[in-house]
Amino acid sequence: MKSSVIYEGKHHKWVVFGRDESKPEKIIDTNQYLICTDTESMLLDPGGIELFSPMLTGILGYTDLNKLTTLFASHQDPDIISSLGLWDKTIPKAKLYAPWLWEGFIRHFGMENIEFMAVKDEGGEIKLGSNNFRLIPAHYLHSSGNFNVYDPEAKILMSGDLGASLEKGDVPMFVEDFGEHVAHMEYFHRRWMPSNRAKMNWIARVKELEIKMMAPQHGRIFKDEAVQEFLAWFEKLDVGCA
Amino acid sequence: MTVHVENNQEIGCFIIVATVVAQLDIILVEAKNLSLAAKNARVVAIRAGEAALGFKSITNFIDEFSTKTIQTTQEINQHSNLLFKLALEQLRASQFEHHINRANELNDKNYIEIKRIKNESTQIFRESLTRFNSEMQALTLQFEEIRQQMRAAEYIAVTSRVEASQAGEYCDSLESVSDYIASAALRIKSAISINLSTLSQLKRIKVSG
Repeated sequence: MKSSVIYEGKHHKWVVFGRDESKPEKIIDTNQYLICTDTESMLLDPGGIELFSPMLTGILGYTDLNKLTTLFASHQDPDIISSLGLWDKTIPKAKLYAPWLWEGFIRHFGMENIEFMAVKDEGGEIKLGSNNFRLIPAHYLHSSGNFNVYDPEAKILMSGDLGASLEKGDVPMFVEDFGEHVAHMEYFHRRWMPSNRAKMNWIARVKELEIKMMAPQHGRIFKDEAVQEFLAWFEKLDVGCA
Repeated sequence: MTVHVENNQEIGCFIIVATVVAQLDIILVEAKNLSLAAKNARVVAIRAGEAALGFKSITNFIDEFSTKTIQTTQEINQHSNLLFKLALEQLRASQFEHHINRANELNDKNYIEIKRIKNESTQIFRESLTRFNSEMQALTLQFEEIRQQMRAAEYIAVTSRVEASQAGEYCDSLESVSDYIASAALRIKSAISINLSTLSQLKRIKVSG
């Protein structure tokens, strides 16, 4: 499992994990994000059960387990949170923030110890150390109960499946040429995103945020102007029709 | 009945619990029919009067052990949810141990926390195994108890046949009750044997596992 620090500020840092060379071939590659503050850490979209072992060893390079107090699941999919049953035994006192809509479904992955923190449809906040992170609604993109995480200090939007791309091999961590990158995103967004109305609603919401980095759960991360290029491209894309 | 569990012992535990629970239905139906047969036989014996006095008292025994069998089986049935829960707990503990062992192999930086969790995961697995085995041991004893009751039923079937032969015109119908007791006891014993044999496979899994 590769990891790299994508932001390091006064109070906290962001680490991305992905491009796991040991994962079974037919499992989709995913990005997991770890936010570390001095006192607490949070794992965003912890990943599937197959990734648990490399993730556990990977995050120990950045945080103590007793500081890993919080998990966040943008939605209910197995590549997002099927490792929950194993985290439940590893960090039993942790909290899991996830859409209220999916509680009964997510619990099928096994959750006897971790506390479920239901996120309301309108979103909310997660406090971690001295930092606050906003939960931005992204419903129907693609899941019917779905959230992004926005960090107002680092100006990073963890966008879940929005901006996701499917590329094979050991691909770079960041989008270098947006025009070339479109080919890896188009089918995914047309097929997985079911609603133009939800798309426009989300674009209007995120345009109000200052975003320096948009970090999806699959593929490359968008930086600076690539973020705006993505929003402009996505606005024009007819979705739910692949 | 042989349960094929070689490839995955924890899934094997699920299959074993499911096999045992499936047999419970057979035992319950037979025990209920036995109880009903005892009640009907008592009516016939009363009608037969003096001639079937011995048979009448036997029907009380039949009713008693069939009621006890129903009760024990229902207790086991209510318990089956716990058995499945324990099998699931064991499966998850085993998966946890497997994934932590994998993390330990990847632990080239020798993080102490991985070693600590590895020990914990082994402990969690052992505890879940102990709980599961303890419940299965209790289950084995309950089945042994029912088997004892069925041995008594077979003995009563023989005695009742002797009593039935002295019941004059009611002889045939009371003899058919005796035959029914014997055959029902046999069917229950057969279901119990399947369950005890299935449970003994579990012991073999755990010994070799």
